[in-house]
Amino acid sequence: MSEQHRPTNAPFRMGRRQLLSGLASSGLILSGVHHAFGQVRVPVVGEAAPLPIAIPNFVAGTPSDGEVGLGVAQVITNNLKRSGLFAPIDQAAFIEKIANIDAAPQFQNWKTINAQALVTGRMTRQGDGRLKAEFRLWDVNTGQQLTGQQYFTSPEYWRRIAHIISDQIYERLTGEKGYFDSRVVFVDETGPKERRVKRLALMDQDGANVRYLTRGTDLVLTPRFSPSTQEITYMEFGQGDPRVYLRNIETGQSEIVGNFPGMSFAPRFSPDGQRVIMSLQQGGNSNLFVMDLRSKSTTRLTDTPAIDTSPSYSPDGARICFESDRGGRPQIYVMPATGGPAQRISFSKDDSNGSYSTPVWSPRGDYIAFTKQGSGQFSIGIMKPDGSGERILTSGFHNEGPTFAPNGRVVMFFRDPGGNGGPSLFTVDISGRNEQRVPTPGFASDPAWSPLLS
Amino acid sequence: MKVDKTLVASVALHVLVIGWGLVSFSSKAFESTPEETLPVDIISSDQLAKVVAGMKSGKKENPKPLVDKVAEAKPVDDAVGKITEKAPIVTDTAPPPQPKPAEKPVEKKPDPPKPVVENKPNEEPKPIEKKPDPPKVDPIAEALKKEEKKPPPKPQVQAATPPQPTKPKAERTFDQTKIAALLDKRDPSRNAAAGDTLNSNAALGLVNGKAADNSATWGALFKEQVLRCWKKPYGGIEAQRVEAEFSIKLKKDGTLEAMPAAQTTPASPFQRVFQESGLRAIIECAPYRLPPAFFEEWKYFNPVFDSRDL
Repeated sequence: MSEQHRPTNAPFRMGRRQLLSGLASSGLILSGVHHAFGQVRVPVVGEAAPLPIAIPNFVAGTPSDGEVGLGVAQVITNNLKRSGLFAPIDQAAFIEKIANIDAAPQFQNWKTINAQALVTGRMTRQGDGRLKAEFRLWDVNTGQQLTGQQYFTSPEYWRRIAHIISDQIYERLTGEKGYFDSRVVFVDETGPKERRVKRLALMDQDGANVRYLTRGTDLVLTPRFSPSTQEITYMEFGQGDPRVYLRNIETGQSEIVGNFPGMSFAPRFSPDGQRVIMSLQQGGNSNLFVMDLRSKSTTRLTDTPAIDTSPSYSPDGARICFESDRGGRPQIYVMPATGGPAQRISFSKDDSNGSYSTPVWSPRGDYIAFTKQGSGQFSIGIMKPDGSGERILTSGFHNEGPTFAPNGRVVMFFRDPGGNGGPSLFTVDISGRNEQRVPTPGFASDPAWSPLLS
Repeated sequence: MKVDKTLVASVALHVLVIGWGLVSFSSKAFESTPEETLPVDIISSDQLAKVVAGMKSGKKENPKPLVDKVAEAKPVDDAVGKITEKAPIVTDTAPPPQPKPAEKPVEKKPDPPKPVVENKPNEEPKPIEKKPDPPKVDPIAEALKKEEKKPPPKPQVQAATPPQPTKPKAERTFDQTKIAALLDKRDPSRNAAAGDTLNSNAALGLVNGKAADNSATWGALFKEQVLRCWKKPYGGIEAQRVEAEFSIKLKKDGTLEAMPAAQTTPASPFQRVFQESGLRAIIECAPYRLPPAFFEEWKYFNPVFDSRDL
């Protein structure tokens, strides 16, 4: 080609345009040649579908491990099923009984029941009292082992092992990090509506292992997890003004964050866990402050004659989104983490009186979840940090308090149906699909998802 | 009788306009050339909508494409209703065709010898600019003639001299080395319909029906079958669009001859997962029931899984 186009002598010199068109046409010819010699391409386009997966009970390494083997398989099955991305197959359909996980399974038996993935595992009590967990994830159609791990743990942590294995399977089969090995702190509500007892509670993300952190003598609100330590921060109505507290969930010790005149509320940790950002009341207004937990030094971030509240850091710690009514109605603003000019990002298209509150930045950084109020509805939604791409995930009488799963793909919130009932917790995919109720012992509100534990 | 001028004008105008309309609006009837059907995604094997290679007068019940000889499938022209364009064979015994005017008279050159022509009593036809349509001649005779023909005389010379008298017939010679010139180089007007199995009964169809290489038709069948097994992974709302292409070889019974070979290298974890889902689907759904007539086409092709939503 270059031979042809090389300007050899004056009469055959080509103009730039000719050269360009020549190149373009030869490109066309070349692409045509490529297609002529390529095979027939048959496009296959379809809908996303949950992956059929078989999870037989884990083999008991010793005769006494049968129960834990069954439990682990159940926890994994439940996790994957609730994610909406997997369709665990009923164990009653299984043809083959896995007895030895060191030999490859008879894949034909699993193909027959339309399983595409198969999890085999074994739980073995060790001589030193620890529990050994092994698992293998198989691709039934290719007969390949996709992943395999073994773990050692104390027998009482078998559920955590099951969550960790769930995360491994989830990550290997979806290409995304999992979120099963995580916990949720929330406000547990019991008693009649007029004398509701609110206790701080902690549970695994699947609703198991509920622990109560407070006794319910004082009202607690907005608990938040530390991203790096076993601590939570929350607001408690003690004697006098409500204050922001810090509590170690292992030792149960708690302390007031800072000694401010007036009310302090809406606390949240910085991504490194070293600081707490919150609202401080000053007269009829409130502004945002950040406090370093080590040095106890406090920095003012906003100074407006309005109510600035619900601050949340971006995962890189560079920006803050918060709620402010400086423009009249509560809206979401984004500003640098050091303070400075704030930019409004929430604009209700369908309702000019719509307001936005409780913004929370996704751990992935790609979205900000919020509560939207308008047209008599409380909705949970997400938008990009520049305010574009708003998407409502659920709407109803009262939905509030979104919090992201560690992988940023699932949002948990609480819903109050109204009437004499009480709120309960739900999860929904950030696409708005797969809404699931999270089982809690009583009514529950104000959930906050922890980071991955491991 | 007095005639209203305006009435006359009106009538004349109407006649004119309507007459013009009759001529100009009476265009040809809309000609809908029978088109080969475009395969639609929703299709089942028993109601395979296609136009088989055949003839317009063929039988509807005959589902097989017309095949005269066993060869690579090739569409043929419909011979029905067509006059075979065979020129009458012109042999040497027939009166020789008119002497051809010079191949290309040079127009720009002035014709100096024209006055000479004027003097001549016998009028000579002027060399015409356009080549008159030469009568259809048998190429064989033509080829023979070319051989004996002299190089055409220059126009000037030709103009100056009276038309050459027809030469005495040359002896018929047979030159073995020029045998190629005797071949009829035209395309035959009727090709034999070719296919992999002989079938002398023409089906109702289009002469240029190409159902036999309609990859979209069997492609749709393949897609329909592989989709039953494909559990497309959900890539989230911000998922980048990815494609996974495989090269697969199928046996005649629709089973895989070899492991599908991925043609794309996954660049992200999601792309890897996506590609694996396609591989699983291809393997799980084999064997494929595809029209055996098109085996040559589907024995080796590339399915491309697309993460785009429907």
